[in-house]
Amino acid sequence: MTSSPSDTGTTTDPLQQFADGVAASVGGEAVIEFGTVKVRVPASEWVSALTKARDELGLVFFSWLSAVDWASEVEVGDPYPEAVEDRYELLATVADLSEGRRVVFSTDIHKSAPSIASLVEVYAGANWHEREAHEMFGIEFDGHPNLAHLYLPDSFLGHPLRKSFPLLSREVKPWPGTVDVEAMPGGEDEEAPEGPSEENPEA
Amino acid sequence: MIDQDLVRHLSESSVSVELETEEMTLNIGPQHPSTHGVLRLVARVEGERAFDVQPVIGYMHRGYEKLSEVRTYPQVTTLVNRIDWVSGYANEIPFIVAAERILGLEVPERAQYIRLILTEMARISSHLIFMASYPLELGAATPLFFALRERERVLDLLEGVTGGRFHPNFNRIGGVKPAYGSGSSTRKVIQDLPEGFLAETREAMDKVLEAAEEIEALVAGNEIILARTKGVGVLPAEVAASYGVSGPNLRASGVRFDLRKVEDYLPYDRFDFEIPIGENGDCWDRWHVRLLEIRQSVRIVQQAIDGIPSGPLQAKVPKVIKVPQGETYVRAENPKGEMGYYLISNGNQGPYRLKIRSASFSNISILPWILEGVLIPDIIAIMGSLDFVLGDVDR
Repeated sequence: MTSSPSDTGTTTDPLQQFADGVAASVGGEAVIEFGTVKVRVPASEWVSALTKARDELGLVFFSWLSAVDWASEVEVGDPYPEAVEDRYELLATVADLSEGRRVVFSTDIHKSAPSIASLVEVYAGANWHEREAHEMFGIEFDGHPNLAHLYLPDSFLGHPLRKSFPLLSREVKPWPGTVDVEAMPGGEDEEAPEGPSEENPEA
Repeated sequence: MIDQDLVRHLSESSVSVELETEEMTLNIGPQHPSTHGVLRLVARVEGERAFDVQPVIGYMHRGYEKLSEVRTYPQVTTLVNRIDWVSGYANEIPFIVAAERILGLEVPERAQYIRLILTEMARISSHLIFMASYPLELGAATPLFFALRERERVLDLLEGVTGGRFHPNFNRIGGVKPAYGSGSSTRKVIQDLPEGFLAETREAMDKVLEAAEEIEALVAGNEIILARTKGVGVLPAEVAASYGVSGPNLRASGVRFDLRKVEDYLPYDRFDFEIPIGENGDCWDRWHVRLLEIRQSVRIVQQAIDGIPSGPLQAKVPKVIKVPQGETYVRAENPKGEMGYYLISNGNQGPYRLKIRSASFSNISILPWILEGVLIPDIIAIMGSLDFVLGDVDR
């Protein structure tokens, strides 16, 4: 960045400009991580933000919707360093069909009453994705026409993608843990490959 | 040519005037061959027409999103192979690229070219399966032999490089399969593409083009197939977009949009290829777009073979890979449509959360809409034309 004035808040990066534009028009905050634009909106604005995305921003393609359980009781590895909160994060990705722009919309749902308005009226494709999020996370989608189980048997109890839902096979046979890597052929001293070996030219 | 309006008129009049029909519930599947796995449809039938078609899925649900939370990154690659098993290789790419983006890894050029060539070969083999199975579902068995013969040739080459026909598991974070010799445990042997692979692939691509000609001659001139597919199962572009229908099914509806042109997960911008589209969004267009895509994929492979650079196959990565904290969405143009992974990493050896966006899931969520009021035989014609695989639906 040589030409852009660094502290005025203006940017010449087209992705940043696009993200700021989306955030401004739906009333949220934009974050860009590794080329992915995420716009956080309040749960009360969920449907109106996505409606604006479709009608005003041309993001007509409904890619997917799902949730993340930001729980502290993570079994595998260390707990997440921040954001250990009592919330589900709901994510919905929509895209355009010309420039390749895509936005992940995100909102928080409190775990004590996980419920939010349904997107089915805005994007017809949200129907199955919301059914999946309903059975996997226990999130209620108000106004959804048919919140029946999608994958799981009707009699299934529990919400498997919650972090509190134990994976039974792992209870029976625990994950090996922090060191789960078998030695590569060649023994302990072997490093990751990086082109033809110089120390063993006769090989 | 058969006059579709006349056919519709006759069928409707004979149903409503001459025959009194009763409503009944018709169960299709879960083991019908046109369901490409196990898919069940429950339809309300009035005479020859189906209404309120409800797909029942989940027979193949394996819970990969949950499983990937208790596995390391290299282990997850073996899982994602099995999502769309007809093009298992292509499934690995967006996942690996997502992890590499968060790691900030630069993948060697040669590895990227190998990924690209194999992805296009996976696309060709997937589309050839469609070329084989779709006419078969409509009652034409002959194209199957032409298509499967060439698919076998392509799969043999894929197997020669990766060791697997369906589940290659060939990508590693930072490149493709590590450069260790398979036999000896003491020598470091740099494995590369098998000898003669590029020449054989070039030859196979010529054969694929010939087969595409043969299949086109067999199918495109067949009046029965034309009557079964033209004007049947019309899908307007706006409806497709709102349901998330992607890939060839979307392009058949006239949308010139291909993720290979707009995303940078593989160096497609260096190659010259076109995006074929359809005009009417009917079953015929969906068949035809895939045939045209085979030819474009052959073009890409030929150019990539010409331009493949030499060099290492693997970036330098630590033996135990921990992906730093971060999240990103990477999507790719897979044979069936948009395949993407939303990867959330918390700095561990495995993902904290992996959302798998598979193409067929959204592609068949259109079924209740597109099958509303169609003739029962057309259910098979329409389902077949959407080219889904249940492993890609259920994940």
